[in-house]
Amino acid sequence: MKQIVGVADMKVSNNPADDVITYSLGSCIGLVIYDPVARVGGILHYMLPESAIDKAKAAKKPFMFADTGIPRLFKTAYTMGAKKPRIRIFVAGGAEILDQKGFFNIGKRNYLALKKMFFKNNVMIDKQDVGGNINRTIRIEIASGDIFLKTSGSQEVKI
Amino acid sequence: MTALDQMIREIKDLTPMPAIASRLLEIVEKPDSSMNDIAQVIQYDPVMTIDILKICNSAYSGLKMPAESIKDAVNMLGTDQIVELALVKSSARVLSGRRKGYGLEHGDMWLYSVSSAVIAKQVAKRLGLNNKSTIFTAALIKDIGKIILEKYVSKDFKKIDTLVKKNDYSFREAEKKVLGIDHAEIGALIGKIWNFSPRMIKLIQHHHLRDESMVNDKEVAAVYLADCICMMMGIGVGADGLSYRFKDQLMKIHGISHSDITGLMAEFGVNMHEVKILLNMA
Repeated sequence: MKQIVGVADMKVSNNPADDVITYSLGSCIGLVIYDPVARVGGILHYMLPESAIDKAKAAKKPFMFADTGIPRLFKTAYTMGAKKPRIRIFVAGGAEILDQKGFFNIGKRNYLALKKMFFKNNVMIDKQDVGGNINRTIRIEIASGDIFLKTSGSQEVKI
Repeated sequence: MTALDQMIREIKDLTPMPAIASRLLEIVEKPDSSMNDIAQVIQYDPVMTIDILKICNSAYSGLKMPAESIKDAVNMLGTDQIVELALVKSSARVLSGRRKGYGLEHGDMWLYSVSSAVIAKQVAKRLGLNNKSTIFTAALIKDIGKIILEKYVSKDFKKIDTLVKKNDYSFREAEKKVLGIDHAEIGALIGKIWNFSPRMIKLIQHHHLRDESMVNDKEVAAVYLADCICMMMGIGVGADGLSYRFKDQLMKIHGISHSDITGLMAEFGVNMHEVKILLNMA
């Protein structure tokens, strides 16, 4: 079954019949994790780096922010049997509009927020497709852990 | 016949937005329009009336007493929301199709239009603009030029894409270079032929701030910024991707900070149910 992850949303599955997919990653980040032994995988689609800008909104929509969404993605996968050392990680998104600089570059800031958290927690990214000016869609097949990437107007490719 | 003549002929062959849309656009632009004016226009369109009442009486507002007429609905939801629902409904047919030339699948452009309209309302509020419905409407229909231009973009996509990827052009600049006209200009032409107001035509024509001197115009800035924010979030974005320019002088001129931008994005994140309701008007 197709499990669609909306904007500011997360889905984790251990059902081999599931495909988890998220559309429309612009400056947002799509974080895909997968444990090949437990066959547990999921996607977080977050929009912004830090929940400090609005704690009330973060409480309502924790998947909107990197710092409140990422821990929930991993913890949910752990409850389904995933183990940290086995988890493979793919990151997509973080695109930017032309001439976006400094603080206005949300895509870059989204990616840096993730890198910072991963560095602190000793987590490594296996593969990534980030930056640029393109829109991305990502999909993971839970049975195989295969990840697919599509950019608007192009065919889907296996990562 | 030049390509431009051909495009104008194609615009004339387009089925225009329903008459109710132009009447509502006129009302939206008049600050002294009354609730009655709006109800008068909508109530003679039975399909529109039924759809609005359905939305009014469902999750949109959790009303205890159901609305039975457009006048009830206007009283309950307010004129702005009723006008927005009606405009969304009447532009759905024109905007919801597949636009292959831009890599937009069925519904993508519709999702982008509605999302940027909702964001535009938030931006208008932030900039202290009174006529939020005008900004909402302009953001909703600003990409209408893509309907005509997509065929031409499709034919010359490689040339346009090369200019964007290798020569630092924005997608709009590349359209202009290769086709002699860009989707914002064609949109303004459609607006002229369909008798939109000069103000609406201006907002469509400058929604990518092609003429930087327009940056001082608050309404242009609002529509432009809403477009940038929607594009950044990638919602319903096509093969042109995020290849448009961000003019950061706008921030200084209109006193917008980076935390305003992230705040607007977060607000949209929690208001996405509003987009879903509007999308269902199609």
